[in-house]
Amino acid sequence: MSEHDVRLTVNGARQRGRVESRTNLADFLREDLGLTGTHLACEHGVCGACTVLVDGRAVRACLMLAVQADGTEVTTVEGIAAPDGTLSPVQQAFMECHGLQCGFCTPGFVVTVTAFLEANPDPTEAEIREGIAGNLCRCTGYQGIVEAVKLAATRLREGVDA
Amino acid sequence: MSDHGIGAGRYVGQAVQRKEDPRLLTGHGRYVDDVTVPRMLHAAFVRSDLAAATIRSIDVSEALALDGVVAVLTGHDLNGIAGSMQPSMNVENSPFPCAPLRPLAVTDVRFVGDPVALVVAESRAVAEDAAELVFVDYEPTPAVATIEAALADGAPLVHPEFGTNVPVDFPMPADPEVEALFASAAHVVEHRIVQHRYNPVPMEPRGVIAGYDNVTGELDVWLSTQGPHEARLTFSRLTGVPEQHVRVRMGDVGGGFGQKFFTGHDEQVVVLAAKHLGRAIKWIEDRRENLLAATHSRSDLADVALALDADGRILAAKFDHVEDAGAFPVGGLGGVGPFVSMLFPGPYRIPKIWWRSRIVCTNTCGRGAYRGPWMFETTAREEILDVAARAVGIDPREIRRINVVADDDQPYNTATGMMFERVTPATTLEHATQVIDYDGFRATQAAAFAEGRLLGIGIGLYIEPTSSPAGSLGVEAAKVRLEPGGSVTVFLGTAAHGQSIETTMAQVVAEHLGVPYEQVAVIQGDTDRTPFGGGTGGSRTAVIAGNATRLAAQRVREKVVEVAAHLLEAAPEDLEVADGRVAVRGTPSRAVTLAEVATAVHNVGGVAVDVPRVLEATGRYETQGMTWSNACHVCTVEVDRVTGQVTIGRYVVSEDCGRMINPMVVEGQVQGGVAQGVGGVLYEHFVYDDDGNPLTTTFLDYLLPTAVEVPRVEIDHVVTDGGNPSGVKGMGEGGAIGSVPAVFNAVADALSLVGATVLDQPLTPLRVVEALEAAGA
Amino acid sequence: MKAAPFDHHAPESVADAAALLAEHGDEAKVLAGGQSLLPMLAMRLTRFEHLVDVSRVPELHGITTDGDLRIGASTPQAVAEHDPVVADAVPLVARAIPHIGHFQIRNRGTVGGSIAHADPASELPAVALALDAVLEVAGATGTREIAATDFFEGTWSTALADDEILTGVRFPVWTGRQGAAVREVARRSGDFAIAGVAAAVELDAADRVARVAVGLFGVASTPVRASATEAALTGASVAEATAALADAALAAADGFDAVDDLHATGAYRRRVTTHLVQTALTAAIQEASGVRA
Repeated sequence: MSEHDVRLTVNGARQRGRVESRTNLADFLREDLGLTGTHLACEHGVCGACTVLVDGRAVRACLMLAVQADGTEVTTVEGIAAPDGTLSPVQQAFMECHGLQCGFCTPGFVVTVTAFLEANPDPTEAEIREGIAGNLCRCTGYQGIVEAVKLAATRLREGVDA
Repeated sequence: MSDHGIGAGRYVGQAVQRKEDPRLLTGHGRYVDDVTVPRMLHAAFVRSDLAAATIRSIDVSEALALDGVVAVLTGHDLNGIAGSMQPSMNVENSPFPCAPLRPLAVTDVRFVGDPVALVVAESRAVAEDAAELVFVDYEPTPAVATIEAALADGAPLVHPEFGTNVPVDFPMPADPEVEALFASAAHVVEHRIVQHRYNPVPMEPRGVIAGYDNVTGELDVWLSTQGPHEARLTFSRLTGVPEQHVRVRMGDVGGGFGQKFFTGHDEQVVVLAAKHLGRAIKWIEDRRENLLAATHSRSDLADVALALDADGRILAAKFDHVEDAGAFPVGGLGGVGPFVSMLFPGPYRIPKIWWRSRIVCTNTCGRGAYRGPWMFETTAREEILDVAARAVGIDPREIRRINVVADDDQPYNTATGMMFERVTPATTLEHATQVIDYDGFRATQAAAFAEGRLLGIGIGLYIEPTSSPAGSLGVEAAKVRLEPGGSVTVFLGTAAHGQSIETTMAQVVAEHLGVPYEQVAVIQGDTDRTPFGGGTGGSRTAVIAGNATRLAAQRVREKVVEVAAHLLEAAPEDLEVADGRVAVRGTPSRAVTLAEVATAVHNVGGVAVDVPRVLEATGRYETQGMTWSNACHVCTVEVDRVTGQVTIGRYVVSEDCGRMINPMVVEGQVQGGVAQGVGGVLYEHFVYDDDGNPLTTTFLDYLLPTAVEVPRVEIDHVVTDGGNPSGVKGMGEGGAIGSVPAVFNAVADALSLVGATVLDQPLTPLRVVEALEAAGA
Repeated sequence: MKAAPFDHHAPESVADAAALLAEHGDEAKVLAGGQSLLPMLAMRLTRFEHLVDVSRVPELHGITTDGDLRIGASTPQAVAEHDPVVADAVPLVARAIPHIGHFQIRNRGTVGGSIAHADPASELPAVALALDAVLEVAGATGTREIAATDFFEGTWSTALADDEILTGVRFPVWTGRQGAAVREVARRSGDFAIAGVAAAVELDAADRVARVAVGLFGVASTPVRASATEAALTGASVAEATAALADAALAAADGFDAVDDLHATGAYRRRVTTHLVQTALTAAIQEASGVRA
């Protein structure tokens, strides 16, 4: 049962830790770094609640070992809003469109949608639904989430145009 | 009777933004697994992998020897020190026999997942390592995994203590009038309708942190729950710690849908272990445990019969219902038994009915509440109605029009003793079918069928019992306090886990106290800070807590006005409160702010000595009987003739939940409920094999619907006064009720085009294909 | 749900990885993207003392065309999915990858990992089989090549020895006019297929079917090549092939021992396979012959 030193950047801040081989990235973020916004709802890679960005790509933090994140840049839900707490366009749209109820799946959706809109800034509704199909929500019926993605996409495009 | 003119207020009735959202969107929520307490240990359960077996021995020595393991507890350690594990409503005067609960199995196990030991260690990972080293020597015994097996002659007994697998059998006496109506009816339809087992599956599994201080005698618990006050009572009875020394707190809770309404078995074991060890223990249920051993739901069947005249008018009904309670149900017997039969007539005039209600035990995970726990009545009724319509030769909408309880039939007493008033099933039926263009769809369906395609439309019409007057669940208190700086705090015994109560109750206070919404904060989920309350579930918060909150806010407003009258030297009746200011009506410059009122009250000489210097009030509201809401769900589907896959087209809900506090929240509840019903009919199924072995304990096998599968829901609101001071009705559960028959009936309608029939759920592609093949289609 | 303890090794070269595998034998397992292995470890459905992580071995990354299309084993699926070289050289690969899980999975999951894991319901093994891909393998004692036909031995079981690593996959590049299509039936979006078909068709200058490749997944204990279907269509004109499709598709459904499981019966799989083969080949033939669907 080997242990490893890991150094990585999380939400712009350099972090280091010592982890067991088996510790996954989600547990490391939550327990070693205290970033409890990344939630675990299945721990076997289906629900998407633990989605984070690793070097800009959305991944499931329960399906990546902490040791595999050595040397990477990680963004968690805590790193999406502005430092002063101002919500990102995605977060703001979720609030306005009632894209969350209990909030447990929400961090994974916020991170997923942030990455999705970067890759596909002008998605159709079908593309949106496909794009968020790797994240499970039990409260909203996804309707508010789909609306939020549309609204955020529009605002982000306008922001780019402006 | 329907009054569409109930106006919105300045805050009540508005889709204001949620107070909960900023923290939840940024990762700053606090769920139970986010909480850490000093010297906290972690627990993992050792669970039975057999559905029924006697335990010869349990060897914990290897587990105890593992580095980092603090204790391995069995029933020998805990069962003898445990008090009652039953919920409050069952401790005294339980209407039903209660399952023989014990913390940990000692002599025998009764379902796969039954806890046998609890490992307590320095980390969850080590606790799981050690759990693998606990060796339980079992002697397998025969198990009953289904209702049919449990009812069979000579079936093995799940609970020998009961002496039967059918602890509840409640038949109405045979009714010759019913038999005569069936004998002479133009049409009789009779079918067994089966609803399969599917589960609440909150995204946050269950979890608890329990700590006990041997010196102070204080039991301090963090819990993922829908009812902290009920949990406190439960833990007090369980551990013997006096209730004032038990504190239960919840932070944010990631969904419950009924699963966390009563205090779960496993949480109780952890609390008992913490008391026993004098250490804080965290247990966070993992997804496999949640699917395997939290609570299961639905799992009902009924032999249903309708007698109808030649035109399709219902003359009489029979409803022989059996509910599967599993082995150790949570919350009494887990289901609602005879209540299902009493609600079976639903929104239709059914003059005579015979019913029988049975609850059976099986060697499966115990049943627990799930969003509309009684909803099988709607499934069974709405599905048999479509069968009846086809037998009579009329459209499913028509049979509902013929039989629905009209607005001017009310108050209407059902043959089962329910009294409906202020409901609008006929109106919502017309609205929903108009919005979806029912007639137009029939034409589209015919045209598509001419090309060989199978389209269908289905209706689910129901009346929803909300804010039930059941014991302590029928009463709620709210405390409202004007703080020294002029802001307002509301203390509630509710326990939001997605229902937006921080938002809606702040709207109520802002409206009735006269302060800006932004200045109101809602506190719930801490037994040390909030008044006793029944928690959040049963569609009870808007009606019961909402009216209590309204009353408390009005009382504080009266006190504020009394103080302000002295400060302004005006008569109280000349004052108005708005925007956090008390002003003389017509002379807005003569005003004081609420902060000035509070300062006057809290400082020497601020007001005359004879003015009561109290700026808080408690409101209490007791529900005046059941509050009924209602809705009609209509959806269209296409069935793929080759693959059997079902695609939902349009989905329309017309609903009447009275005056809405926040329409955005109402619509979110409807949409979420519909998604759960869609999941139940088409995707979700907890499967056991015949020996009681579970086959669907991961999210790879237990299929929650994704954004691709769930339809957009179009919502039409009918607003009828709820018959209480704030005019509201409960509505949290209905989405998960009407959706089940709407989707099912739409598929059945499509299949009927080619003479195929389905009667059982879930409607998997395989089942649909088999139905098509059986019909030679 | 925490994995049992193991040691993580991060070799920097294929040689080092192979040496580690040789050293630890059947107590070691190659970790690539981990999207299948890590859940199985977390659920304690499998366990290994040593994980040899090849996800960051530089020589296992990269996509090249040199006659064949070669994809390094540790290349993330998402990279191959969006690389125009792949879409241009072997369209079937580019069209199959979006069917793998969800995009977050494809960001970590690797091309080689999917093939070496050999889940019979996965897309890429069926594509490799249908296209006669060549699998490049390295072990402690050297390298070898394995034809895809010889690679898939059973569910999660391949011709790789315990001390061998899949290093790359070579897909033949078809130069004629071609069409490719992937069709599958799954319970939900992104789920493993209950039945799936990956099909490609190449036409010669005379508009006859020069080559046809049909791989089936999700239907049997291994990916299946629908050889009878391919034989029935090879050499046919577009019109003849179109006319023969229904029978050829029926032949596909007879070519395997269909599995029964929680989600479907073998009979259901045969029924759906016939349909999917027909629709996939129809789309592929139309594309190859320039017909827009």
